[in-house]
Amino acid sequence: MSLSISSPMARRRISIWRSERLLPYLLLAPAVVVTVVIVFMPMVQAVFTSFYDLILFRPNASKFVGFGNYGKLFSDPVFWTALWNTIIWIGLTVPLQMGLGLMTAVLLNREFPWRGLARALIIIPWALPSVVIALMWRWIYDPNTGVLNDILIYLSIVQSAVPWLADPKVAIYAIIATLTWQGFPFFAVMILAGLQGIPKSQYEAASIDGASTWRQFVHITLPGIAPVLATAGLLRVIWVANSMDVIFVMTGGGPGYATHTLPLYAFIKARQNLDFGYGTSIAVTFTIFLGAFVALYLARTMREVER
Amino acid sequence: MKFLRTLALGAALAASAAFTQAKAETVRFWYHFDNPANPMTDLVKKFEAANPGIKIEAENVPWNSYYDNLYTSLVGGNAPDAAMVKLFAQPRLAEMGALEPIGKQIDSWQGKADLLDNLLELNKGPDGKQYYLPIQYVVLYLYYRTDLFQAAGLQPPKTCEDFRNAAIKLTNAPQTYGFGLRGGKGGWDQWGAFVMSQGAELKPGGLVKPEAIAANQWLVDLFQKDKVIPPSAPNDGFQEIVAAFKSGKTAMTIHHIGSSKDLVAALGDKVSAVPVPKCGNGQWTSYGDESLAIFSSSSVTDAAWKWISFLAEGQNNVAFNSATGQLTVTKSGSADWKLHERRFVDATVQSLPFAKVLPQTSAVSEFVNTAWQTNMQQALTGQITPKQMMEQLQTLFAQ
Repeated sequence: MSLSISSPMARRRISIWRSERLLPYLLLAPAVVVTVVIVFMPMVQAVFTSFYDLILFRPNASKFVGFGNYGKLFSDPVFWTALWNTIIWIGLTVPLQMGLGLMTAVLLNREFPWRGLARALIIIPWALPSVVIALMWRWIYDPNTGVLNDILIYLSIVQSAVPWLADPKVAIYAIIATLTWQGFPFFAVMILAGLQGIPKSQYEAASIDGASTWRQFVHITLPGIAPVLATAGLLRVIWVANSMDVIFVMTGGGPGYATHTLPLYAFIKARQNLDFGYGTSIAVTFTIFLGAFVALYLARTMREVER
Repeated sequence: MKFLRTLALGAALAASAAFTQAKAETVRFWYHFDNPANPMTDLVKKFEAANPGIKIEAENVPWNSYYDNLYTSLVGGNAPDAAMVKLFAQPRLAEMGALEPIGKQIDSWQGKADLLDNLLELNKGPDGKQYYLPIQYVVLYLYYRTDLFQAAGLQPPKTCEDFRNAAIKLTNAPQTYGFGLRGGKGGWDQWGAFVMSQGAELKPGGLVKPEAIAANQWLVDLFQKDKVIPPSAPNDGFQEIVAAFKSGKTAMTIHHIGSSKDLVAALGDKVSAVPVPKCGNGQWTSYGDESLAIFSSSSVTDAAWKWISFLAEGQNNVAFNSATGQLTVTKSGSADWKLHERRFVDATVQSLPFAKVLPQTSAVSEFVNTAWQTNMQQALTGQITPKQMMEQLQTLFAQ
């Protein structure tokens, strides 16, 4: 180094910069500032808003109501319907996506011609925008012009067209099927990466010991991909819980309240009815529920995986 | 809220600072066109050539979230200067103090005399002031398949009884159904033709009158008992009813002249239109309006007025409507109207005498946006009775 630092002031400044205690914070600061401003401040703002009776087109009539919105919420039958729908929504979609993803990954992990192409094609549903998928499936399900009913009638599985999205008993399951189709490639790709990390020698040793394919799967494959399953599962629970775009485009929450989930209900209240006080109280309540679930999941699953 | 307001104020200040620095005045304008052939660029060019000091930033905002975006941008302080607006939104916008009165400008405007009669009267604000400048209009009527009616030896229905009989005769489930009902979003105006015609009103006590409940029961029975409506109806929106009608799945449906081009392209002479049937002693159809308004938050109201009045004048208005497929609001433009087949224009004109707009109250916006749809779907699918549906909707109009 030919540069020489002459003044003691400058030397001190550099020593502060180089100080190992400060540097990490300085490097983290931009990310923290951004997160605080665009994530935490709106969250705190939402909690405050939920204590107000705030209807957007009557900004001057806004008043503090304390826990009033929450009181109203717990006696609102639509809230309980939406909560139950949310449980079905997460409880079915994530395991189905995971199961289908696991099967796909195991298949794609075998040697077969055009495997590279198959691996690339499988990602398509995941790569398409949700709104495109929702519109596509809305037309597939359409009882008058849709292709699904045509096929089912042709195969004599049903006698007349089923109104998939217009029947309150069926609609939510029809949307779950759509989301399963959209989300399984994510699991497939993650699990495939996990599968490739399992040493071949373990399988060789097991087959020499006479273990069947099924036992190899249970005792080598599953433990090998458990960390991937746990992490991908957690991510998907959070994403699926919050995703309402597909439901919104396919049914708008209907027929009636049959496909209302809590995030969708919050969206409809806040953005369509402009009742921000009540809408945010739904969102805050749901965040608490989801946060509690995620904490529990992390505590249990991660312990299992580490063991 | 204080933070939001400060933020909005900051944004507004920054915006106005930017405006004063710029030499040309910029008018931000929001509109919604479904049609991919969009003449807006040409209209903007023509306007800017005639008004060198004014620049137009026209933004096509998707219809499905048009009002959500508009209200939030108004509250957030980032609203456009002018926008396309419908009558049902006027009470909310007026309540927010978001509208700029334009009565004086209209009175001194040379295009006023060319506007069709009565349109300004229909568009008056809840406080009697003029905030809206009409830009296009449609009226809902009944589309029917001439070939299917002829084959069944039927005449287009004039009354609700005729309508039900025809629908029953034309139904051969699951291949064909008599009537394509829009049970999903935006279907309230079809519903109105059968229920508002028989005395239902959006005011205290107006929905729970015995005759209104009976009319609603009659309509739900068409779906549940007579089964003349496709089972998909509870989730059907505009796209679905049009697709079903085009494919021959349904023999009648209710919509306006905006879809006539598309239907003629698919069905040719096999589609025609008549006014909606008379039910009980009344006849009701929805007057579908679209106007332009200037927002009070705008700092360029004069330039904005020049732009919106430009769009409402003679041939400009005709060009505007060629994109939306609706009808011009000018007398000079109507005189040699070539955009639609005569039979659809006739059905529209014949429907005008009993075409109505919904009352201008804030609750009507919620009725139109969410409440009608949710309750209708529940009634159609048997989760509630038609009577309960009317009682629940009545709670919106309790005061």
